[in-house]
Amino acid sequence: MISVQEEDFNVAELYQALLVANKTGAVAMFVGLVREFSDLAPEDCAFELEHYPGMTEHNLQSIVDDAKSRWALQEVRVVHRVGRLSVNDQIVFVGVSSSHRAEAFQACDFIMDYLKSRAAFWKKETQGDHAQWVEANEKDSASLDRWS
Amino acid sequence: MTKLTVVFFASLKESLAIGQYQVVGDFPMSVKALKQMLASELENGDALLAAGIQSSVDYEFARDTDMISNTAKEVAFFPPVTGG
Repeated sequence: MISVQEEDFNVAELYQALLVANKTGAVAMFVGLVREFSDLAPEDCAFELEHYPGMTEHNLQSIVDDAKSRWALQEVRVVHRVGRLSVNDQIVFVGVSSSHRAEAFQACDFIMDYLKSRAAFWKKETQGDHAQWVEANEKDSASLDRWS
Repeated sequence: MTKLTVVFFASLKESLAIGQYQVVGDFPMSVKALKQMLASELENGDALLAAGIQSSVDYEFARDTDMISNTAKEVAFFPPVTGG
């Protein structure tokens, strides 16, 4: 299940949704948070997350489908928030369940790597009265080479 | 002639001061050719030619050399993505 939403998400509920009774042996989860990114007080810093409705969901589904074709996975949940986010807010959740830990760890890592470089989201930083678009980090696209 | 919707996002949308544009053109056409056509038609269109500008055709990431067919519905141009 994939969700792009403004609302916050509940990690405990998402964890429960990953469990397959009597079958799940491993769950790997990643949560991305907004950390402080300037010397200003945290309340003066924020992110505005824009996305491309339709394409973003399509990108995320393609990434999840690719992960499922590479590893034996049971359930996958991806939640990405959009709109205005403040320091300490949750941004993204990726959770994967499988029989064994190796598949769960790797698939979670893979999905996050691709989400960073191949899903239509854009972050804008606001610091006090100043706002600027975040530039892509070359390390993010370079890390995709690990999976080819 | 084919009618196509072109959408823009993030810093590119701000530079062009428009989010959406309708194109009537002679497709198939390469992504690069469409980009150059729009760059000459739109105010501040040079922003489309900046290094790193990416594109998609009907929600699939595309390269400059990819062809936009005459059945394509929507093309997007945007800066590199920064989610997660």
